Amino acid sequence: MKTGMRTLALGALGFLLLAAQPAAAKPGNAGNGEKVYNERCVWCHGEEGDGEGAGGAVAKYLNPPPRDFTSGMFKIKTSPFSEDFPNDADIFRMIRDGMPGSDMPGWKSVLKDEQDIWDLVAYVKTFAELEDEPGKTVDYGTQVASAPESIKKGNKLFHDGARCSECHGEEGKGDAIKKLKGDNGERTWPRNLTKPWMFRGSSDPKDIFTRISTGIPGAQMPSFADPKSKKKLSIEERWHVANYVNSLAKTDKTVRAGNTVVKADKASGDLPADPGDPAWEAATPSTFYLVPQMIYKDRVFKLSNDTITARALYNDKEVAILLEWDDRTKSIPGDKDAMTIADPEMGEDRVAIQLPVAIPEGMKKPYFVKGDAANPVNLWYWGSGTAETPGNVRLGNGTGVDSVEDRDAAAVGLKAKGVYKNGTWRVVMKRPLVTADAKTDIQFEEGRYTPIAFQNWDGSNGEIGSKHTLTTWYWLLLKPAADNTPLIAALILAALVLGVEILWARSAAKRKEA
Amino acid sequence: MKRLIQLVLTFFGVYVGFIVVFDVLLEHAVIPSSLLMMYMFFVGAGVFMVFTFTEESMNELTAPIKALVEDPSKKMIRNVVFLLVPLAVGSYAYAKMIPNFEAPLELRTIHPAPPSSVKAYGKRYDLMTLENPYRKFEKEDPEKFKKYVKEGGMVYVKNCQYCHGDKLDGRGPYAEGLNPTPLNFQDVGTIAQLQEAYLFWRITTGGPGLPAEATPWLSAMPVWKDFLTEEEVWKVILFLYDYTGQRPRSWESE
Repeated sequence: MKTGMRTLALGALGFLLLAAQPAAAKPGNAGNGEKVYNERCVWCHGEEGDGEGAGGAVAKYLNPPPRDFTSGMFKIKTSPFSEDFPNDADIFRMIRDGMPGSDMPGWKSVLKDEQDIWDLVAYVKTFAELEDEPGKTVDYGTQVASAPESIKKGNKLFHDGARCSECHGEEGKGDAIKKLKGDNGERTWPRNLTKPWMFRGSSDPKDIFTRISTGIPGAQMPSFADPKSKKKLSIEERWHVANYVNSLAKTDKTVRAGNTVVKADKASGDLPADPGDPAWEAATPSTFYLVPQMIYKDRVFKLSNDTITARALYNDKEVAILLEWDDRTKSIPGDKDAMTIADPEMGEDRVAIQLPVAIPEGMKKPYFVKGDAANPVNLWYWGSGTAETPGNVRLGNGTGVDSVEDRDAAAVGLKAKGVYKNGTWRVVMKRPLVTADAKTDIQFEEGRYTPIAFQNWDGSNGEIGSKHTLTTWYWLLLKPAADNTPLIAALILAALVLGVEILWARSAAKRKEA
Repeated sequence: MKRLIQLVLTFFGVYVGFIVVFDVLLEHAVIPSSLLMMYMFFVGAGVFMVFTFTEESMNELTAPIKALVEDPSKKMIRNVVFLLVPLAVGSYAYAKMIPNFEAPLELRTIHPAPPSSVKAYGKRYDLMTLENPYRKFEKEDPEKFKKYVKEGGMVYVKNCQYCHGDKLDGRGPYAEGLNPTPLNFQDVGTIAQLQEAYLFWRITTGGPGLPAEATPWLSAMPVWKDFLTEEEVWKVILFLYDYTGQRPRSWESE
């Protein structure tokens, strides 16, 4: 009986494990695959499988563009570097789970029958006339578990002779000094390794090991298992690098679902004016997604900077906000280094904080992109400056997407300072809590939920003027300093209850005596 | 003692029942804590009335409490209870009073009542009578209809999928950065409940065209009459229904 139960449990476990893994490739029916393809995939990947869906319009607007199946090359594969083509299970996984950070969703919610996905694999392969699969995978050796010692070794290998940091940057933020291109001539960017949500094939050490070992076909990421490579790594070394990269992806600058409030703590002394001031470390970071501005002309479609992190502090006189965002390029128009990496038509890197001129009493807020006529917004702009003019701060009052009135930032005491280092901009903006004119400028109040939004420009991504990224409205709260009221109230209440109890017990005892 | 335990068990049994139904079975369906509090107040009052209906039952209920206070042999338990009760009251009050700094709750109407007419493309459309000019081909000329659906799909993939997603599930690559989140057309509670004329109104006038109860200042839906032709809007509407397998509501079907 007991062994029977155990067999059953083991069987169930085994079944679960099997269900979680893509099973060994099943023969797919390309005929049915074509049917599913024409229903689901043709829109982006095109009738010819060349990634030219909707007459090539989609490829123009997506970063990365849809895969061109006619080459037979797939970026995320587990076959060894010596094999040009992927295993069937690799294609299966990309269709089933999708590719994070790209437009490709996981299709398992729609294609509930896994056989449909295997059929798609068979059909997709016909575009490149692929028949067999390599049937081999990268040699994983013995996995080295992630531990401080391994991460340290990986760190060294990552930076040795700029093995990985050449493209991925000193801190792994992909702040390349090289212009990279994919096989179809499209611009590609080295992965920012501190953003796990952008890893197309997951940030699990095993997946990272696979990428390091086999490279990314169709892009410039090479294989570090290739014995001919000057930068080659042994299996064990690749595990160390994988563990190091995985450790980079653990960051507190991730979007936390449901977190919509930038909470400013009250500081006793002066507020830090420098982005590098250690006082900022005590402030809680809140990270929000940046979305391309697609609402009015001119629009932007290809996302570059995808998140922005805000912290805030205040004292009796001022409020200071620190904005941080990863940007692979320091865009200074006129600067020689910046010009070589940028796409043509480079602008400054810029950021804006948007606040309502009047803190709303009810739910109604200004329109979330630059306000509206009845509900104007303040826009605090900071720009990285050009080779001739240094970084600058500007103030604007917005009453609509096309109407922002330029104002004098110095007149209201608005100040800003920005610093770029290793792939990250850090900008501090500061303003007095109150100004002379409440009709034109926001007057901050402690404890009031104040709408706040952000806009961002990556000048090297062609983001100029109305081409920028933005966030929806979030909240800024100048958190009142904690006081003892709740504690005192709780103690008084507890004492009252205790008093009543004692009186009750006493009167009961008296009655007994009587 | 038995009666007292019964009362407490009944009360908490009902409470757990609410939690099981709303939080577990219906996976966090809407029951705000304030509403649950109100329900439990009535439950508490009702249970108390039932348990104290006769003087006898009232006595039976209060007897163990009286005994606890008055019986010298129960002094130990009494002291413990008398210490725990103020502690519980105090810590509850403290937890309630400490500010939690949660964002204010904002409610909005997802499908607000449409206006009677909408202005676009230099014309005024009466939403009561407006119909999709391509819908009739579904019966009259299925081949032609298929062609229009496909053209609608092209409009969708070039313009809408960034937010509404390749699967039309409202989970496009930029959906998470928006509030309100883009509509999920696969959901039976969205386009299947609406007429095509309603969709025409929502698409052509976008977020800024919403009435106040639907928070037009928050919606990231563009004013599509600035980007798409009238024909493109009608074709993309065909595509939305065709791809998801939903049917638009119409006056005839009601």
